[in-house]
Amino acid sequence: MNGFTAFFKKEWLEAIRNYRVLLLFSVSALFGMMSPLTAKMMPDILANVKVEGMVLKIPNPTFTDAFVQFFNNFSQMGMALLLLVFGGVLSQDLVRGTLIIPLSKGLSRHAVILAKYTAALTLWTSSYALAALIHYGYTLYLFRLVSVKHLFFSLFCLWLFGAFLLAVLLTASVIVRGSYGGLFVTVAGLGILLICQTIFRMERFNPLRLASENMALLSDKAAFDPLLTIAWITAGFILAALILAMAIFKKKSI
Amino acid sequence: MIQNYLPFLIPIIVLELILALSALIHLLRHQSFRFGNLFIWIIIVLFLQIIGPILYFTIGRGEDA
Repeated sequence: MNGFTAFFKKEWLEAIRNYRVLLLFSVSALFGMMSPLTAKMMPDILANVKVEGMVLKIPNPTFTDAFVQFFNNFSQMGMALLLLVFGGVLSQDLVRGTLIIPLSKGLSRHAVILAKYTAALTLWTSSYALAALIHYGYTLYLFRLVSVKHLFFSLFCLWLFGAFLLAVLLTASVIVRGSYGGLFVTVAGLGILLICQTIFRMERFNPLRLASENMALLSDKAAFDPLLTIAWITAGFILAALILAMAIFKKKSI
Repeated sequence: MIQNYLPFLIPIIVLELILALSALIHLLRHQSFRFGNLFIWIIIVLFLQIIGPILYFTIGRGEDA
C-alpha cells in the first residue's frame, strides 16, 4: 500500500467519523426527495395561503418544474453545504499539526493533496449521484416524462462546479493560514465571480454559469456549445488549481 | 390532500429525524461547542430542520478530546 491509498483511506475514515458522510448523504437524499415533491405540491401550498381578493393562477407543475427545484436546492444550499462540510479539509490538519508525523515518516506531500482531493471528490460525486438518482426516480413517478434536451450534461455541469469549488477550496487552504482561511478565500472568490457575472457581464469563461444555467440548458434557452467550452475551461482550472496547490504545499513549512 | 403525499413525506421526515437525533445525541454526549451553549444548540438542532444539524456538525461542534 503506497502513501496515496493509505492517506485516501484515512481521509474516508475521517469523513465517516466527522459525520461528513452522514451529512452529505442524508442531505443529498433529502434534496432528491424534496425537490419533485415541492414541485408537485406547489399548487396546493399556494392554494392554502390564498389572500382575500387575489386570484392565483398556477399552471400545473411539470417534469421540468421538478428539475427547477432540484437545481435551485443544489446550486444554493448544496454548494453552501459542500463548502461548510469541506471548509476545514486541509486547514484543520495544518492548524492542529497532525500532518507533521506522517510527512516526516516519508509520506509524499503530493500524495496528501491528491488523496485529499480524491477523497472529497468521491464523497461529493457519490452523494450527488445519490441525489440525482432519487430525484429522477421520484420525478418519473410523480410526473409525466417529457423529453428534455441535455439532461445529463446539465446535471454534469452542476457536478463539475462542485468539483471546481473543492479544488479552489483545497488550493486556498494551502495558501492561507488559519482554520477557516481557505473557506473565507473561496467564498470571497465566489463573490468575485458573481460580481464578474452580474455587473461586468464577463460571461464567456465564467465557471459560475455551470451552476446557474442548468435550467436554461434544459429548456433550450441556453446554447450547448458555450457551456461545453466553459466545462472544458473549468476542468482546466481544476487541474491548474491542483498543480498550484501541490507546488505551493511542497515548499510550505508546516 | 396531505394523505396523497404521505408515503412521500414519511421518508423525508424520517431522514430529518435521523439528522436531528444524531446531532442531539452527539451534543448531549460531548457538550463542548466552539461558541454558544448547550441550550442554544439544542434549540437550533431540534427546530431548524436540516440546517440545524448541518450547522452543529460543521461549525458548532467542539474538538473531540
